[in-house]
Amino acid sequence: MSAAPLLEVRGLTKRYLGLTALDSLSYSVEPGAVVGIIGPNGSGKSTNVDCISGFQGADAGHWFLDGVELTGLPAHRIAQTGLVRSFQNVQAYDEMTLLENLCVARQEIDGIGWWATLARSARLREGEAAAEARGRELLALVGLAEYAQAPAAILSYGQRKLLAIAACLMARPKLIILDEPVAGVNPTMIRHIAQVIRKLNAEGIALIIIEHNVDFVMSLCRRVIVIEAGRKIADASPAVVRADPRVLAAYLGRAGAAEAQGAHG
Amino acid sequence: MRAAGVTVAGVTVAGVTVAGALRFLLPAGACAVLLLLPRLTANEYLFALGVSFATFSVLAGGLNLVYGYTGLLSFAQVGFFGIGAYAAALLVTEQQWPFLAAVAAGGAIATVAGLLIGYSSLRLSRHAFAIVTLSFALLCMIVARDWVSLTRGAMGIPGLPAPVLNLPAGLSWRIASPADFHWLMTIFAIAANALIYLVMTSRLGRAMRAIRQNEALARSQGINPLAYRLLALGLSALLAGLAGGLFVFYLTIVDPSVFDFYYTETMLIMVIIGGAGSFWGVLVSTAVLTVVPDLLRFSTDLRMVLYGVILIIVMLVFPGGIGGWLRKRGVARWRSVRVAKS
Amino acid sequence: MDAGFLMGLLINGLVIGVIYALVAIGLSLIFGVLEIVNFAHGEFYMLGAIAAYFLVANAGFGYWPAVLVVTLVAVCLGYVLFEALLGGLRGESFERSILLTLGLSMVLQNGAVFLFTTTPKMMTTPLSYATLTLGDLRISVVRLYALGLGLAAFALLYVVLYRTRIGKAMRGVAQNRNAALMVGIDPHVVARLAVAIGIGLSGLAGAALAPVYAVHPLMGFAFVFKAFAIIIIGGLGNVSGAALAALALGVLETLIGGFLPLVMVDALAFGAMILVLLVKPHGLFGRGVRV
Repeated sequence: MSAAPLLEVRGLTKRYLGLTALDSLSYSVEPGAVVGIIGPNGSGKSTNVDCISGFQGADAGHWFLDGVELTGLPAHRIAQTGLVRSFQNVQAYDEMTLLENLCVARQEIDGIGWWATLARSARLREGEAAAEARGRELLALVGLAEYAQAPAAILSYGQRKLLAIAACLMARPKLIILDEPVAGVNPTMIRHIAQVIRKLNAEGIALIIIEHNVDFVMSLCRRVIVIEAGRKIADASPAVVRADPRVLAAYLGRAGAAEAQGAHG
Repeated sequence: MRAAGVTVAGVTVAGVTVAGALRFLLPAGACAVLLLLPRLTANEYLFALGVSFATFSVLAGGLNLVYGYTGLLSFAQVGFFGIGAYAAALLVTEQQWPFLAAVAAGGAIATVAGLLIGYSSLRLSRHAFAIVTLSFALLCMIVARDWVSLTRGAMGIPGLPAPVLNLPAGLSWRIASPADFHWLMTIFAIAANALIYLVMTSRLGRAMRAIRQNEALARSQGINPLAYRLLALGLSALLAGLAGGLFVFYLTIVDPSVFDFYYTETMLIMVIIGGAGSFWGVLVSTAVLTVVPDLLRFSTDLRMVLYGVILIIVMLVFPGGIGGWLRKRGVARWRSVRVAKS
Repeated sequence: MDAGFLMGLLINGLVIGVIYALVAIGLSLIFGVLEIVNFAHGEFYMLGAIAAYFLVANAGFGYWPAVLVVTLVAVCLGYVLFEALLGGLRGESFERSILLTLGLSMVLQNGAVFLFTTTPKMMTTPLSYATLTLGDLRISVVRLYALGLGLAAFALLYVVLYRTRIGKAMRGVAQNRNAALMVGIDPHVVARLAVAIGIGLSGLAGAALAPVYAVHPLMGFAFVFKAFAIIIIGGLGNVSGAALAALALGVLETLIGGFLPLVMVDALAFGAMILVLLVKPHGLFGRGVRV
């Protein structure tokens, strides 16, 4: 593929007090792709997300979205450029209704300034109406339409994850990074979330999915990146990655990998 | 924005619900009563209460914006109040500025102070922020007391002249009697609270609530916490500064007691009891706490002891105040709906 | 400028510094272990002074017994305070704890004003007028006693914090709460002791210094803001940092007051705090607890 990459990460490095969490990590994501990032615990998957979304500072490296450099920008500015992320410990505004939760996610993106907002200009009223309409659409998409006016605090864990995905969409993203979207969720909900993700991708939105649930990633993603100890050790289609001895070693240890290889061969 | 969870049984009359009509009529009626008070009575004691209520409604309203909406526990309000007061008084007595211009300048100076304090201390932890705002208020008092060449020290500046406002149509209004000040403060308070309400119910208020409830999530959605916090602080500082400038002319003297911790304690109680984040709750509690203590004729010290006890009890039992309690009931109602459906 | 004058200032500065340190250490300990900023801390200093005054003036106690009794009562009071009010709070409910202790401060302060009026009272003991003369130097004996008491309290505190199990547990919780919990330290017990010690130190400071300055119900209020500034300068949660900052402030204030007009000695603490926050937000000596 020679399409210009949507997201390009070069040499991302992050150190904590002598421990190297990310070691010159480089990868790219093409427009419209669904890329999975897997790796053992502590490999740096979430640190990677935190860095490129501006929640943690990187010690070295550059990253670009659609050619625009995001390195060093604060989190809110990065979100405004179209790189949107969800959180591992699912976040929502508990005291607001679901619909409000979604409207908030859009309000900094539709370009209406403070004065227009305060003066309740026509532009603002249109913007709010559009946001509400889109919000209802998305709630219907994820199956939470009946709770539109309910406070987010009442949702179950899986429902909160769905709300978070819907909120990501409100911000008209070019790329969504989902941090463990199905962790701790029952199988029915997992299938539901997978369905939602496929629908999103069908609309042309690129996705990065960070997950522990390897089967989930393999079934959804056309490309899988494997990170271990802050370094990329594999970057290929699911089938290739599944058989890669280095990946097996990272997850199962040397002896376990040899055993698994023996079982295959 | 929805009201604090109170629903009157949705009786509809000719397309207008009872709840909707009440929400407009009650405040409008209350404003009318306050404005017409000098026509209804000559009781100067009531005018004094009116001035007190108006002033505290602005102070508590600003604190509500900063604490209830943006989630910043700030003790700096009284500092802005006093800065506006001293600035206005000094500009009138020493520089012969016209009254409104001096008050406006006082508000502007207070706003600048608020933005400076905010910008320098918002990157600190919440603990440090609270302490810094507290120290700022105390520092203001120390400066007012000790920098005698500027502020005339502990004696203050007595004998502030009665303001004269030049109104259109060639009229001029000399504000000297308690009734006059009641009008002045009430008109100002209505305008100030309207502005606060406007901000709270707009997207700006919603962004502030988002920041308070979940700052990380807000940042990931493009909301800049620093900008909104500065907005809240700056606006509350402006209103407090203007209130201070007007208020000291009512007192006809400005001295370091304008920075008294008493103001901070009182406005905090008003916000806490009304429910931080609830516009109407705070307004009502301000009214109640202005009128009731005077009725009960408590000595100031006992009143403060009572406030302290109330604060302790509220913090132990229901920290969200009345507004928070109502919200929790709303949540419980929805929870039962969801459980019934699943 | 004679050496005697300078030395006198220095000693007075140390006395003030030691007293500041006692109060600031207590405040820092409570913050470090519970993550609560105790707004009522100054009131216990005030209550200690008032109690000592009444013991001496009305009950005929001597200086030493009065201080001892007040300190013991303060420690018990801290214990009670924790069980009744603070035990249920946790670090996340930060505004709650500030407002709760603020409420407590309002009750204690205004209650004291109501009961005792704001008229300052001077505590006179036979010691009050005694001075010690060392060459050029004349120091009031009471101040020396206060200094001695303070240093003794430091020594005792050091022993507790560094040589007893529970003291080490306290330091552990202050440094890293989660790690401490994981190794099985009971936070409740540690917190209770921290509050008891903190309040006790405050009461001790008030009682020790009662004969030196006038006693009145608002003395704690003026004091506690400086204590806040001190713990910010030293680093929130950093107990030894607070002690050092307190001593430095006491000495600096007295030296400046001795040579320059008294105009803004009070503002020194806050000016220093603002400077530190702008330049080194974690405090001069770094963090005990994340700021």
